[in-house]
Amino acid sequence: MTDRPILNVWGAEHQYGDRKVLRGVDLTVHPGEIYALLGPNGAGKSTLVGAICGRFKLTGGEVALDGQDPFVTASARARLGLVPQEIALYGHMTVRENLEVFGRLSGVMRCDLAPAVASAMQLTRTADREHVPVRHLSGGYRRRVNIAAAILHRPQLLILDEPTVGVDIDAREALDTVIRNLRDTGVAVLIVTHDLDQAGALADRVGFLREGRKVLEGVPRRLIEQAFGQEMEILVQMHLEPDMDGESILAAEGLERRKGNLWARLDLDGYNAAAQLDRRLRGLGLIPREIRVRAPSLQNLFSLVADWSRAA
Amino acid sequence: MILAMFRVMALALWRDRGALVMTFLLPPLVFLIFSAVFAGTTGEDIRLKLAIADDAHTPASRRLVDALLADPDLRAERTDPDTGERVRALVKAGRADAGIIVRADPSASDSPIVVVSDPSRAVAAPLTMARVQQAMARALPDVLLDRTLVETAPAVGGFTSRQMAVVAAAKARLAKDGAGAARPGLFEREDITGAKKGGGTIAYYAGAVSILFALFSAMTGALSLIDERRSGIADRILAGTRGMGPVVTGKFLFLTAQGVVQATMIFITAQLVYGVPVLQHIGPWLVTTVLASVCAAGLALGIVAFCRTRDQAQMLSTFIILILAAIGGSMVPRFLMPPWLQTVGWATPHAWTIEAYQSILWRDAELMAVYPAWAVLAATGLAGLMLAQKATRLIR
Repeated sequence: MTDRPILNVWGAEHQYGDRKVLRGVDLTVHPGEIYALLGPNGAGKSTLVGAICGRFKLTGGEVALDGQDPFVTASARARLGLVPQEIALYGHMTVRENLEVFGRLSGVMRCDLAPAVASAMQLTRTADREHVPVRHLSGGYRRRVNIAAAILHRPQLLILDEPTVGVDIDAREALDTVIRNLRDTGVAVLIVTHDLDQAGALADRVGFLREGRKVLEGVPRRLIEQAFGQEMEILVQMHLEPDMDGESILAAEGLERRKGNLWARLDLDGYNAAAQLDRRLRGLGLIPREIRVRAPSLQNLFSLVADWSRAA
Repeated sequence: MILAMFRVMALALWRDRGALVMTFLLPPLVFLIFSAVFAGTTGEDIRLKLAIADDAHTPASRRLVDALLADPDLRAERTDPDTGERVRALVKAGRADAGIIVRADPSASDSPIVVVSDPSRAVAAPLTMARVQQAMARALPDVLLDRTLVETAPAVGGFTSRQMAVVAAAKARLAKDGAGAARPGLFEREDITGAKKGGGTIAYYAGAVSILFALFSAMTGALSLIDERRSGIADRILAGTRGMGPVVTGKFLFLTAQGVVQATMIFITAQLVYGVPVLQHIGPWLVTTVLASVCAAGLALGIVAFCRTRDQAQMLSTFIILILAAIGGSMVPRFLMPPWLQTVGWATPHAWTIEAYQSILWRDAELMAVYPAWAVLAATGLAGLMLAQKATRLIR
């Protein structure tokens, strides 16, 4: 990672009619860095990405890609590659044909096309399917070709919008490897995602957007340490769906429902607290199927940020 | 970049065999059907089906009925039972195009023949009357003379007994020898130079079907603009340096080329099956075909670029295709339309395309006569292309 950022956003403000969607967001991404932009729906992530891609002029603030405004200067946009959330490929065409088309559309000269396609396929590990129509590929392969189509012109900044939607764990790991490989070649990667696990595993830095403001930014591990200190997360998977009394008992133990029948809380005395919790619940007739103890994740941080915002 | 998009469109069509058939084989087939249907409406091949009843039962009425039954240009049948009611029932049931009831002797002065017709087949009544007149002239000249005398006697102050005797002799001679004899009529028919039976209609429908399908296929192809927006491809391209301009231009060129190939298939069929002289007018034909395709491609892209969803674009394009085809003469010949609708039709590319093709292939018109059509088609297509470019710039 170098000191000079490839992307600079200063005080980004934007509004649609009377609705303010960005309220003074600052952002920098450096070459060789993976930055994950996190936030709930409506936080302003898509608007910020649209402005970075030069799709519209911000109502306030500035965007600079390698020092140039992407809305005004086409050569600034040549420095970025966008991987949309959808599979933005032609399904009736093979991997190679798609890459040739998007190479030309992104300004790669005809004479440079073959090496660019070969390089993109190598980086994304898609060369073994080069003659297969995209519609016949698995979800994970499509995602990788989706990335390959955005790096043909060797962008300095790669923006990935929700790159792991609809892919299984194996495919996600393969995607993570591809993204790390790109980062290692010096490309700055900006990931916009809801997938906090992926952000935690991949990102060198994360930024939380909420209601148009950047409410937190930093290295994930440090942010978690700062927020939770020595606290551990206790996850309780209940055997049966608790009735109303059972829910009251779990709430009294400080547990919050996560998803389905999974409950969680933070505790400084992680393992001992988990053992005591197990005994107390069993004594009250609530049988946990599994209790796990783990270090807090970005998910916990995300919930904490949401709580702060609500309190504010 | 433009060629890259041309390649995308070409591969999409080439790899969809159903679309390929629909695009290049269906138009000639529809043209063959339309031309077979409408070539018959020139009147040359119409053989009316007539139901005939003789209520008069006189010698003259019998001669008239026999003449009509023997007319090779009619499909006449005597009803059973031989009554006027039966004739009316057959016409009402649609089992006869028209009916004839001979209710009095044909020489009688007070409309002895009733023509029964269905208003939905209005053209059948005057055709039937003309056929009866011809049959009367051919088979009953003495009766016609009788009717003429009755009508002219008051005007000339009556006839003397000597004149009446001469007339009676002439009638007897006509009745004996004149029936069926060929006599020069009032009219002599002359077809325009080089005219081939049904040729004008064939050229008309080759043009009508080609612009109909050019627009239809262009609309279908232009829908890919919406697919690209929905699939994120437009986002990817818009984040680049050139925006959607080359994409729209590439699509425009492909849709134009597709329209040219489609029209070529139709006119090859027209030349092979009906002898429409396409090769003899290849230059002007090619210019007209390219400009009609330019018009269809531009119009389709211009319309689709302003639609937000595929459903919206499909509904709007179907509506526009049908309305333009109906008004512009792709479904029914324009000369059959009321004058105001013919005037409105000039607002459609269909009318100009058909006019251009007919001028070149049927009327052997000077190029000067085709320039207005070429100008309208080119201007419409380029305006559509500019609108599409503008609309896709707006989504930036």
